[in-house]
Amino acid sequence: MISREVCKRVLQKAVSTGADYAELFAENTANHTISMIAKKVDAIHDTIVAGAAVRVYKGLRSVMASTVDTTEEGLLRCAQQAAEALGQGEAQMDIVLRERLFGDIHPVKITPASSSNPEKIAVLKDGYFAAQEYDPSIRQVAGRLLEVDHNILIANTTGIYAQDRQIRTRISIVAVAEKDGEAQTGSCAPGRRMGMEMFDTIDPHAVGVHAAKQAVTMAGAGYCPAGVMPVAIENSFGGVIFHEACGHSLEATSVAYGQSQFAGKLGQKIANEKVTAIDDGTIPNAWGSINIDDEGTPAQKNVLIENGVLKSYMIDRFNGRRMGMASTGNARRQSYAYTPTSRMTNTYIAAGQDKNEDIIASIEYGLYAKEMGGGSVNPVTGEFNFAVSEGYIIRGGKICEPVRGASLVGKGSEILQNIDMVGTDMDMGQGMCGSSSGSIPTNVGQPLIRVSSITVGGR
Amino acid sequence: MDFNTFKEIAIAQAQSMGIADYELYYKVSQSSSVSVFQHEVNEFTASTAGGVCFRCIVNGRMGYASTEELSEAQAKAVVVRAAENAAVLESDEPEFLCPGGQEYASLDLHPYALPSTEALIAAALDAQEKLYAADPAVVDGTQTESLMEHNEIAICNSKGLDLHYANNLSGLVTSAVVRSGEETEDDYGVKLGALECIDIGKLAADTAASAKAKLGGDVAPTGAYPVIFSPKAMADLLSTFCGIFSSESAQKGLSRLADQEGEIIASPMVTLVDDPFHKDNPMPINFDAEGCPTYCKKVIENGRLNTLLYNMKTAAVAGKKTTGNAFKSGYSSSVTVLPFTMYLAPGEYSEEALLQKAGSGVYINALGGLHAGANSISGDFSLQSAGFLIEDGRKTTHVKSFTVAGNFYDLMKNITAVGSNLELPMPLGMTAFGSPSVLVENLSIAGK
Repeated sequence: MISREVCKRVLQKAVSTGADYAELFAENTANHTISMIAKKVDAIHDTIVAGAAVRVYKGLRSVMASTVDTTEEGLLRCAQQAAEALGQGEAQMDIVLRERLFGDIHPVKITPASSSNPEKIAVLKDGYFAAQEYDPSIRQVAGRLLEVDHNILIANTTGIYAQDRQIRTRISIVAVAEKDGEAQTGSCAPGRRMGMEMFDTIDPHAVGVHAAKQAVTMAGAGYCPAGVMPVAIENSFGGVIFHEACGHSLEATSVAYGQSQFAGKLGQKIANEKVTAIDDGTIPNAWGSINIDDEGTPAQKNVLIENGVLKSYMIDRFNGRRMGMASTGNARRQSYAYTPTSRMTNTYIAAGQDKNEDIIASIEYGLYAKEMGGGSVNPVTGEFNFAVSEGYIIRGGKICEPVRGASLVGKGSEILQNIDMVGTDMDMGQGMCGSSSGSIPTNVGQPLIRVSSITVGGR
Repeated sequence: MDFNTFKEIAIAQAQSMGIADYELYYKVSQSSSVSVFQHEVNEFTASTAGGVCFRCIVNGRMGYASTEELSEAQAKAVVVRAAENAAVLESDEPEFLCPGGQEYASLDLHPYALPSTEALIAAALDAQEKLYAADPAVVDGTQTESLMEHNEIAICNSKGLDLHYANNLSGLVTSAVVRSGEETEDDYGVKLGALECIDIGKLAADTAASAKAKLGGDVAPTGAYPVIFSPKAMADLLSTFCGIFSSESAQKGLSRLADQEGEIIASPMVTLVDDPFHKDNPMPINFDAEGCPTYCKKVIENGRLNTLLYNMKTAAVAGKKTTGNAFKSGYSSSVTVLPFTMYLAPGEYSEEALLQKAGSGVYINALGGLHAGANSISGDFSLQSAGFLIEDGRKTTHVKSFTVAGNFYDLMKNITAVGSNLELPMPLGMTAFGSPSVLVENLSIAGK
């Protein structure tokens, strides 16, 4: 993308006013999304995101300037702007850049540009019409096939000159079912850090059926009752509970500023001893995986909580300075226009020992959350919320009728103690996580778990 | 390469390919922000981002392609890609480009100069000092940020349209963290406008006070109660459910308001306005994302649905005229439909009178998880909330960690009183939502 020599000159300009660290990040990303609605291919979103950003640090101060002009002149102007904003001083370092090849632990067989629109549309239609034709009550279906070809280059004054190519594919089907004049939705949206070969292992037809089945089930459901009760949360996207209740509060973004309920608690027991939680950016071809993070640090597998004890935070280079800790390979940004910060990759509660049937049988009256929607958290207070997209009442240890419109709210530190049964069948689900450095792909995951007591919002 | 050069190359390419109907949409934002932590500037950001979207009608279908890289190669490539994309579309709906020569409302942009970097730093530092000074409960973790933004939009097309828009924005964000014993709470405040006109002392004091008010408190009891939504909470609900007023949603079966124009859909207290020129919207604009003139309209008047919101395509499908509500969420996005400044018109009630009318119930001033706990297709919501109990017509105990659940379509019918205190909280991009406080009958609260 940009030669080593140009990078060197840009970094030299960036440190010319006394910065103790400088970094150049450049990207060229092709986004391609095919959308269907009302049984027809309705739109194609096709865009090239291209630009660069220069960051400099001096002590605990950081300056970032970004530009869409990636010519050498444009990059030098951007570096000059960052250097000037940092203040006045003298250059304090020589820059030597060495190309690093980190290898690719997420091999891709089919790049987005090498398959045609008609081939992609055929896959999307397979999923789309599977949903449309599932049941006469399906009134509308929206489908999307998304591909991203994200090319990044990072050069910094520690000597790194590295590139990565991150290819992602995702299919999303949302079905709307109607019963007695009321509409309910169901959705399914698997994604991988792969090309179109993703569909060798994920059947688009099954994706459509999954979405439609959920919509039909929910259209026939009554409202979820409100109150405090035990809840069994299913595997895969159910892991959003850990993502919201705990994950965000373990990011250096909040920990470094004392804005986290878990700041200063390393080595302390913050969760039930059944809880071991991991953030792992190295899982081959997983949706949230990376080879290197957006500061050029190789992805790692970080054990965050081991048997209830807090072991590690997720840390980027800049916030690591304030914390006196090294980066854990978690610096991420949506694009060059965002300042990177510590973010999750693939974050999950590890498999435990409890059998699924024992978890359900243990609940006299409660909620079985088969599928979860999204959620959010305030890391300062730990208060989180998330939506249950497919829920069932558990009565006498058995899963009974479906209920709709449920949400779960609570406080992270309390809920972590209440996860008192952890199943064996860990699986992951895909999401887009939004935070200060933009929207990034992350996996959440867990086996079936029991939360002994949580507030269920319903009516 | 500048936009004009890019435009000329793209147009030449389109003409050489025999493409007669095309449009170029250009948007660029230059923004700077300063963040202060522990009395020192810890981050400064200066960002330039934006790009060009080329779209064209080929065989009756609209293909799009966009780029942030303004180069000769990309100017040609976007035309080729847009035509390729158009070729595989299947929609039979008519496509339009806005003809030139329209009449546009004159804009009063209240122009102000963008602040210097020094002024940004001074304002953020000042706000931080005033936050700490506002209350002894304010602790580290407290941050302040000042920001400025310059936005430019240009649209030109083969029908003679050639529009340009530029606007400046600046403001201050205060985030206060307060602590009492083991308990930590936070809140934030935002004020947009020329930095020298912002009352930083008041903003800081209000932010610290609202964070402190959250300390202590209780969980609301489970049950069904009358609920008052504060202006911010009601504006958040409007922003979450505004899609139901889109003709595009209605035509695709994603809104229950299809075929409801002219019908009563809300309490007679409800008048809902979309005003592109509202004085509190920092980005008033006189043309929409297709280049059509924008204007003020009542979407709901005294409970009756006057009109949905339309762009050129959805209006043609419905046999109507566009309401000038074409919208692009980013320069590269497809044209869809959205309001500009949508607000519930104020009523007669003071907040005290609303509380008196409620008697007992729950006052909600914060909602969370709107992207997850609300379904704009069904209208159902179940949302994390915070606020106060209402007892004997007064706000009493602070309550949090509970949910409020209901259905937005029903909520519009169950509004029994509308306050006089219209406020427009922080806009989301070019769209702002506002409301006074409203009293709603019987919503479900899940707490202890």
